[in-house]
This record gives sequence, C-alpha cells and structure tokens, in this order.
Amino acid sequence: MMVSKDRPMTRDPSPKGIGGAVGWPIAIALAAAMLAGIFAGYNQAAVENGGEPLPAWLGPLVGIGFCAIAGAFYLRAYGAVWRQRSPRKRRYWLALGVAALVGALIGVWSMADSDTPVAEVAMIADGPVSPGFAIGASLLWLLGLAVSMILYHRAIDDHEERAWLWASLAGWYSFVFPAPVWWMLHRADLAPPVDAMALFLLSLVVNAVIYLWMKFRR
Amino acid sequence: MNNKLKVLRAMRSWSQAELADRLDVSRQAVNAIETGKYDPSLPLAFKLARLFAMPIEEIFDDGFEGPADDA
Repeated sequence: MMVSKDRPMTRDPSPKGIGGAVGWPIAIALAAAMLAGIFAGYNQAAVENGGEPLPAWLGPLVGIGFCAIAGAFYLRAYGAVWRQRSPRKRRYWLALGVAALVGALIGVWSMADSDTPVAEVAMIADGPVSPGFAIGASLLWLLGLAVSMILYHRAIDDHEERAWLWASLAGWYSFVFPAPVWWMLHRADLAPPVDAMALFLLSLVVNAVIYLWMKFRR
Repeated sequence: MNNKLKVLRAMRSWSQAELADRLDVSRQAVNAIETGKYDPSLPLAFKLARLFAMPIEEIFDDGFEGPADDA
C-alpha cells in the first residue's frame, strides 16, 4: 500500500464535535444522580426491613467522586473542543451549563426532599417541602439564575438578543393581559383565586415558544 | 432589507457555519440575515463589510431609489 509523504502514518483520531462535548456532561450528571439514588434506595429498603442504613452522606459522596473522575476523563477527551471555540461561544455554553446544573440540582434535591413521585415533581407542585430545601432551592435559583444570565447576556449575538427580547416581551404580555382579568373575575366570584404559578408557567411557555421560533425559524 | 450575503459567501465557498465562525455569531444569525428575516446591527454590518472588503451599501440594499444627494 502506498503512503503519501504528506500524510501522517498514524491514523487521525476522529474529530470530536459539540454534540459529545455537551452530551457527555449530561450523561455523567445523570449517572452520578443514579449512583446516589441507588444508595438512597438501599438505605430506604434497609430502614423498612429494620436493618442498619449506610451513612446518609455516602451516596452523594460517591456521586460527587464519580463526577470528579468522569469529569477528568471528559476534560482530557473534550478539552480541545472547547479551546477551539471563541471566548463568546465558551461563555455561551458555560451559561447554559450553569443553568442546567442549577435546574438539575433543584430537581434532584426536590425529589430527595419530598416523597412525591417523579412525575409530580414540578415547579407548580404545591405539596409541602422542608424549610431547608425551600431556602436552599430559593438561593440556588436566585444565585444560579443571576450568574447564568450575566454569562448568557455577555455571550449572545445580536440575533439571539433580539429573539430573547421579543420572547421576554411576549412573556410579559402573557402575564399582563390575563392577570388583572382573572383577579377582577375572582373578586366577582366568577373565577377561582388567582394562581400566580399558573401565570408564571404560562409566561415561561410563551417566552420559550417565541424565543425558539425567532431563533430557529428557517 | 435585501442583501448579497448568500452570493458573497458562495463566491468564497464558505458554509453558513464557516461565515458564522468568522463573524463570531451563531449559524442561525447568518441564516436569518441571508433569508432577510433579520437585519444585523450596525456593528455586525461593519464587521461584514470589513470581512468582504466592501462598503456596507454594496452588501445591503434598503430599496431606496430616490435622489442620492440633493445638496
């Protein structure tokens, strides 16, 4: 077999794309959550059967340890993918990563804190939660949202900023139009009490639909 | 607003992603400008003009056909 002098003798490693660079951290986080869940499940079964549960911190510690080891392998494999990207794009993905991490932390913590099934764990669920979770999740939301939004707005281009601004306006209108009407109808006993979280969810959905349409329409 | 971005990009055999990388914007931004769904900001228009080494008004056309300068 002839080999060109211009080509290296060794086979080039297949180029790694952004799909793997984004997908692997999600997979690692899910695997860590499952690992921690296995320990939680074991402890629950042990308590129900009258046995001795493992220390409560062991599951989270194993999950964090797994994240650290898998994260090191990930950085070794995908570090170059991020270094090739412009600072703006790195900030963009970092902002999305922070937002996803905060959402995942609140979601997992919410499931651990309450005994409700996974399908019922949602932002509009109104079941009781512990004060520790309420304060922690609120702080995570406030700080996480602030950090990710600062990173996000420093990273987006003009086109996305325009999509974001129109989506934000649509989200605002979806609150401003129905809220006073609902409130007035309730005062006349024509409607149930105003549900702030339902209005919040409506504005989020409208915001997401308009944002996705303006950014990705062809 | 009409523009020649698609033609200028094709003349250089650049994909939308390549042009987006050169401008440091998203591929969706390039597509939106090319299809006329989005008019770029002035800084981005200047960036395009520098990249293609052309005046902005040769890339973008607002359809105005009146007298160029009455003064």
